[in-house]
Amino acid sequence: MARVITVTSGKGGVGKTTTTANLGTALAIQGARVVVIDADIGLRNLDVVMGLENRIVYDLVDVVEGRARLRQSLIKDKRVPELYLLPAAQTRDKDAVSSDDMIDLTNQLRQEYDFVLIDCPAGIETGFKNAIAGADEILIVTTPEVSAVRDADRVVGLVEAAEKGPPRLIINRLNPRLVAKGEMLSMDEVVEILALEPIGVVPEDEHIVSSTNRGEAAVFNQSSQAGRAFHNIARRLNGEHVPLLEPTEQNGVFDRLFGGLFGRRART
Amino acid sequence: MTSRHRRKSRTVDGGEDAVSFFSDLFRRKETSAQVAKERLLTVLVHDRVKLTPEALESFKTDLAELIQRYFPSVQPSEIEVSLLREHTSDRLKADIPLRRALD
Repeated sequence: MARVITVTSGKGGVGKTTTTANLGTALAIQGARVVVIDADIGLRNLDVVMGLENRIVYDLVDVVEGRARLRQSLIKDKRVPELYLLPAAQTRDKDAVSSDDMIDLTNQLRQEYDFVLIDCPAGIETGFKNAIAGADEILIVTTPEVSAVRDADRVVGLVEAAEKGPPRLIINRLNPRLVAKGEMLSMDEVVEILALEPIGVVPEDEHIVSSTNRGEAAVFNQSSQAGRAFHNIARRLNGEHVPLLEPTEQNGVFDRLFGGLFGRRART
Repeated sequence: MTSRHRRKSRTVDGGEDAVSFFSDLFRRKETSAQVAKERLLTVLVHDRVKLTPEALESFKTDLAELIQRYFPSVQPSEIEVSLLREHTSDRLKADIPLRRALD
């Protein structure tokens, strides 16, 4: 029975799609059977981030409107065997999908997979409501910035109203150098302000830009700090106990050394 | 500067003067992350209760009227009402300095 997890944020541009792609890939690398769904109808993007844009035949709206069967429209990942994408439609009709459609869809997927991750559109309107309708758990992505944290809090209210249980928090693009100077909110401060349980902190990492350029998830890149952070979040989702520490600059250099060692060990 | 002068003129005791000097000194050193945190804590409480600044003003006026009915010596201008986030709970706080009632 799959767990259905929606990745949301309120504010756009904080890294929902990158998070969904990397968590989905990391979970699949770790052995789970995973489907990632792009619920951002009209603004399809998860496909390009995952490098699967040339393989799309059918999309979510085709499935909902009966033009394609669900199985047919799932796109298999290039590198990881048990990873599939259900792309968003590029139709301009945002009402093509309803909350009930999303509940049906996720229920069909529950039988055959371990995780269904849903990439939620920005905002708090219909698209958001549809994206959380079928979810068992919610992950809220924020960056340590006032606008992103404020919007995250709005989303927390809506998630609670929808009785989805307490969401868990991912703090994305944290810059340890700025935190050390007191010029960026720290992990602890964001956690205190939002009063949510954190499931991960992802440091700002230039590898994300190059990985996205190539359409490869950062979790494949052994030298990407963000990639390692996403792997850790995937382990925590699986119930593994992985200590969560505030990233520091020193820890970055340290991690790079140990990351190399760990990477080699992991491959053997 | 002006706020410090005002505070100085209001204080009688020299000790408080020193405290206000140091707190001002400290305030100037406040990092942008601290400012962000304080601003967020305030704005989130306002967002959560969905109270407009106008509604809060009208609440303050009504509250002042009510308090004056029972405590005629209280100065409405000294009543401070604020929405605060403390640890994990949000609070509506009213600070009402009392004065000795006239016989």
